[in-house]
Amino acid sequence: MEKERKTDRREFLKVTLGAFIGGALFSSCSLSDLKNPKTMVKSPIKTNVLRPPGAVPEEHFAQKCIRCGRCGEVCPYHCIKYFDVKTGGVFSGTPYVDVMEKPCYLCMKCVYVCPTGSLVPCAKEEVRMGVAVINRQICVTWQQDKTGLMCKTCFNVCPFSGVAIKIDHDFRPYIIEENCTGCGICAYSCIADTYPENNGKKAISIQPIKWKKIKQIKLEDIKKS
Amino acid sequence: MARKSFFKRITLWRYLFLTACFITVIGNPFANYYWDVNFIQGWFQSIGIGNLWVVSPLEGLESILTAKFFYMPSLVGMVIPVTLAFLMGRVFCSWMCPVEFLSLLTDKVLGLIPKWGNSLKYRKDLVRFAKYTLWFALVAELMVTMVIGYPMFVWWSPPGLVGRETMFYVFYKHVTVEIFIVIFVLLLNLITRRMFCRYFCPLGAILALIGKRRQLVIEYDASKCVGCKICDKRCPMGISPSVGESQSVYCWNCAECVDVCPTSALNFVWRDRGFITLPKGSKQGSAV
Ligand code: SF4
Ligand code: SF4
Ligand code: SF4
Ligand code: SF4
Ligand code: SF4
Repeated sequence: MEKERKTDRREFLKVTLGAFIGGALFSSCSLSDLKNPKTMVKSPIKTNVLRPPGAVPEEHFAQKCIRCGRCGEVCPYHCIKYFDVKTGGVFSGTPYVDVMEKPCYLCMKCVYVCPTGSLVPCAKEEVRMGVAVINRQICVTWQQDKTGLMCKTCFNVCPFSGVAIKIDHDFRPYIIEENCTGCGICAYSCIADTYPENNGKKAISIQPIKWKKIKQIKLEDIKKS
Repeated sequence: MARKSFFKRITLWRYLFLTACFITVIGNPFANYYWDVNFIQGWFQSIGIGNLWVVSPLEGLESILTAKFFYMPSLVGMVIPVTLAFLMGRVFCSWMCPVEFLSLLTDKVLGLIPKWGNSLKYRKDLVRFAKYTLWFALVAELMVTMVIGYPMFVWWSPPGLVGRETMFYVFYKHVTVEIFIVIFVLLLNLITRRMFCRYFCPLGAILALIGKRRQLVIEYDASKCVGCKICDKRCPMGISPSVGESQSVYCWNCAECVDVCPTSALNFVWRDRGFITLPKGSKQGSAV
């Protein structure tokens, strides 16, 4: 009995040591550091498909998130969805918000349940899921000479209207990128797709921030602290 | 024997507890979706009950290893499962894991089939590996995780998948291909009882590792044993309690042997009278 215990312990030491040495070796040169994100594993985050509020930068998101689904279960609007292995590969199980299907209403419930800090608690104004981009060729107000319409829908629905989205003297909307949260409410509500010549296209899309240089991304600061 | 029927109730409690845990995990997405009850969120990767957060040790560890970033709530969330494993070993596996619930359920359902049902239920194990295969599973899992740079177990862990597939079904009205992992794990049961749990589950391995010096063990009293070996036959983990293996690291404290022993030679005890004592002569303590 006693002998058995001893061999047991030796076996354990071997296994644990093996795990830690191997781990130390491998983690110091793990592929994720070497790889070119574009060729190795492509993030499924793209236009209008964004991480929920408070998400750490995309390079780290799939590493931190433990796919527990708590963010999605707590979201009262059910706007958080999850990639599966077909759509996401190694990103499978991580949350996303498809703003064209359902935008985020910035209730900020999800960020407070994330156990891993993949979603960092932050104020509504600090959310940077992406940034809204208005396609002026499609917006009926920007084309008012042609369409004769003056729509202010996006301005009206934006939770930070007048701050994130403004209206110029011709009532044409434009985005203040530093203040836009990327919640997608404007894109979701845009009425441009009902105008016959637009072939069902919306005038606003939300671009992930990595594609769009924004001077001040407050989340970076939060993550470092 | 009055004593025995008392222990019988313990096994019964295990079934009840397993069922309760299973219902919580399965029912929770329905509560979240249809009745907007958000008190409980998540499943066995991380479950939040009000302000009490529990994070599974292996998934938490993987997240820390790959992101190289410590997040306090996730460390704090790991305290409860680690303490539990430290004191009682793999009780998560035998008392809470939905995979064990489904395995038990399939065992019971198979037992109902009249002709070969009984031979299926407690059949001989067809394939046996060395017990330490479990450690290779853990090491391989951690290696793969660190080489790829993304946590791996988080998306294929069968205990987590049970919750996730239910959530997918409730929220998005479809299930994903990952459900085949759960089915595969259950099919492995037909070859060898609890084959996946015995040899391949990295979560089970890390819990066993933490619970190596656990306090709650099943004690074998040789003077009472009549050598009937019923316990060996009954043990779902393929351990032989009749030669004292029940205190080994591979035992997951399910109490099946305690229940089945006709002479009460097997009993739950708190090792060292419930005090946490370090092994004699060990200088490193129980850090392993
Ligand atoms: S902030 Fe609210 S609405 Fe937006 S994703 Fe999170 S829980 Fe859903
Ligand atoms: S709550 Fe956090 S860890 Fe859990 S799935 Fe959502 S982002 Fe990932
Ligand atoms: S401009 Fe659009 S995306 Fe930006 S905050 Fe306003 S509604 Fe949200
Ligand atoms: S809602 Fe769409 S069409 Fe209307 S002003 Fe805004 S961008 Fe233009
Ligand atoms: S070994 Fe893994 S699958 Fe089996 S009961 Fe334990 S956690 Fe569940």
